[in-house]
Amino acid sequence: MKFKIDWGAYYWPALAGFALLFVGNIIANPIFISQDNWRPVLLGAAPFIITTWAQTVPIMSGNGDLDLSVGPLAGLVNAVLAMTLPDLGITDPFSMIAIALAIGVVSGLINGFLVTVVRVQPIIATLGTFLTYQGLTLELLPISGGSAPPWMRVISGSVFGVPGVFFVFILIAVAWWLLGKTAYRRNLLAVGGDIRAAYTAGINVMWVRIMAFVIAGVLAAITGIVFTATIGAADPTIGTPYILTSIAGVALGGVAFSGGQGGLLGAAAGGALLFLIENLFSLAQVSIYYIQIAYGAILLAALALNSVVDRARRRRAAEALV
Amino acid sequence: MSEIAVEETAPAAPAVTPLVAFRGLRRNFGETIALADCSFDIVPGEIHALVGENGSGKSTLIKILSGILAESGGELIWDGKVTRIADPRAAQQAGIATVFQETLVLDQLSVRDNVVLGLDRLFRRVQSTADETRVVREALDTIGMGALDPDMPLGALSLAQRQGVTIARALLRPWRLLVLDESTSALDVDARDRLFEALRRFRGEGRSILFVSHRMDEILDIADRSTVLRSGRSVATVTRADTTTNRLLELMSTHEEAQAAEGAVPTAPQRAVGAAVVTAKSVEIVAGSGPFDLAVRAGEIVGIAGLEGHGQVAFIEAVAGLRNPAQGAVETDRGVVTSFLNAARAGIAYLPRERKTQGIFAPLSVLDNLTISALGRFSRLGLLAEARRRAEGMRLIAQSHVTTPGLAAPVAALSGGNQQKVFLGRLLALTPRVLVLNDPMRGVDLGAKQDIYKILEQFASAGGAVMLLSTELAELCLLCDRVAVFHNRSLFAVIERQALNEQALIAAMFGQTAAARGAG
Repeated sequence: MKFKIDWGAYYWPALAGFALLFVGNIIANPIFISQDNWRPVLLGAAPFIITTWAQTVPIMSGNGDLDLSVGPLAGLVNAVLAMTLPDLGITDPFSMIAIALAIGVVSGLINGFLVTVVRVQPIIATLGTFLTYQGLTLELLPISGGSAPPWMRVISGSVFGVPGVFFVFILIAVAWWLLGKTAYRRNLLAVGGDIRAAYTAGINVMWVRIMAFVIAGVLAAITGIVFTATIGAADPTIGTPYILTSIAGVALGGVAFSGGQGGLLGAAAGGALLFLIENLFSLAQVSIYYIQIAYGAILLAALALNSVVDRARRRRAAEALV
Repeated sequence: MSEIAVEETAPAAPAVTPLVAFRGLRRNFGETIALADCSFDIVPGEIHALVGENGSGKSTLIKILSGILAESGGELIWDGKVTRIADPRAAQQAGIATVFQETLVLDQLSVRDNVVLGLDRLFRRVQSTADETRVVREALDTIGMGALDPDMPLGALSLAQRQGVTIARALLRPWRLLVLDESTSALDVDARDRLFEALRRFRGEGRSILFVSHRMDEILDIADRSTVLRSGRSVATVTRADTTTNRLLELMSTHEEAQAAEGAVPTAPQRAVGAAVVTAKSVEIVAGSGPFDLAVRAGEIVGIAGLEGHGQVAFIEAVAGLRNPAQGAVETDRGVVTSFLNAARAGIAYLPRERKTQGIFAPLSVLDNLTISALGRFSRLGLLAEARRRAEGMRLIAQSHVTTPGLAAPVAALSGGNQQKVFLGRLLALTPRVLVLNDPMRGVDLGAKQDIYKILEQFASAGGAVMLLSTELAELCLLCDRVAVFHNRSLFAVIERQALNEQALIAAMFGQTAAARGAG
């Protein structure tokens, strides 16, 4: 198969924005690209990028699907890993990772069940689980505390000179690429594109949507692992801010909110963009409130841009039908 | 009519075990009975036509057969066993492949992905990409679209090609019963002939086809037997030897309607033709397609015809202000048409092709649907004068021959034909000077067609101008004072009434110059 660059692809604006801000960060602070800085930069960007990935999958499945619980779920996993499991004497990497991912799967099944079987609006259903997870986290961990087990330094530290968290990205990317080799990606795009076409063609629409939430849950759980490794402890408020950024990242990444379009490359760029903005603002010592304002404005601008691009695409399609 | 039913509900029963048998199948939606009592068989190796007006229950029956709806009562016997088909997947596993009336395709995916859609499991793919490409090509080749690139994004395809994709999707499933629900409507003549050829081949292999079409010529051409549905009941199954257009029309409608539909043409009365209302001046639809002029005068019904994708749709959309021509302009006595809004102000009312998505407001009432474009007329200090609006609603219902339980009834509860009449009524509420209609009779039952003919006649007689794009040539011959035929994205010929017949139209659509020529 030959490699073709699709210049019309959805992710180019996001990559361009990413490149622009990347250069902006270097200009603002040349140390930004020094080798010593890679590790903290990647660790800082990881929750932005991974929660945006998590959000992307349900949004691609369309029909109003989205997952507000990705941030709080990551926070819950953080609390479980740094507080509950060590208290129970479970500290080996295998069990901890398995338990974290299992929490993600269960959360995805709950969200997916609520949305597809009970038929609660996704935004309401996941608002419910979001509040539940937040409460559960505070119950497990009223204030910051706990500690990360030593093996997590693999993620927070470096392996052969490469930041450990880099391998987390690689693992997710490979998993997504492999998923693209299965029928799931095509099924996902079909359900997101037109659920009636998918259903009448014989696709199991319900499970495609549930699986989208499960994948979101697993990615949120991975974010929880990265949180734990990064701060070496548990913080009950760590996850919540990433609800808004995950949605803004999806919009910036060019993923259509109507579903049926998009992928992890654009979403990664979208998530990374938000991190770079935050980084730039903190370099410039701008107040945290302005960062919130900037996120809100960026979210709106990205959505507006999305709809302009979408309209142009539809017009071209309509002209092709003359 | 009952004597006909008695005479024919038990046709010479074939000795073979039916592949599928319906026994008193029923389906209701709340109080509405969509299917009242449907009983007939489809035997292996037959092409069975299902005929009936809109709202006669055809779609409901097909949805039950395809696993989209569950029956409310009665039995569906598949291969000798009473079966309840749970969902579309179960239908496919049983061997039922359906091509739905709507072209259900995904613009973002490739042609290949669209054709193999649904064959896979949640994660597991049943065949490699190379195998997929091969079977997709084969299936598309069946309808003469084998040259279509399977990697092409579907969004770039024409309507006919899209319909081809949905047909190919059904064909490559291991089916024993193929259900075609008006799925040939957008195909061009060549593709349709090839499909029919393939259907006869499948019949020879002992496979069965259930075929729904509003086109009598197609049914006469291909069906071994035809079952007629009327008001949710199967009234008769007639064999090929007994099938004539008259017979079918008679069975599916009441006597008066049948006569009206067949012969009693709204005999082109002498209408006073006035001055030109809309004029296309040196219009080029796409750059380089060749400029043309066309004037439509008051009191005139001008037909617009052409093979799929030959620019006729783009032209009437330009008249309606929905797109700008590459060159030239559409003019009225109130200036050049540049937008939908200024077209509307110039008195041009447009009826789009897709009634469901671009026409009616399904959740709203009949009254709201009728008056929503003209609310300004009923407003006083920003409040609606309900009594006046209702009176106008009643007038429009009468004028458009709408059959409805009442003004407050949700428009979605009406049959397709009545919805279309409501839609037309909404345009009439604007008291337009020009009606621009994009295939208004598409998927409309015979009774409603007759009513729409009358509405158009009355409108033209009162001095209105009509531009009628239709895919049904007989209809154009019936109604139009002249027909503008498009070919290669430009006006090819204008055929005047005295020279108007289907052969002349077809010849012009195919770019044959035999027919009377001359544009203007």
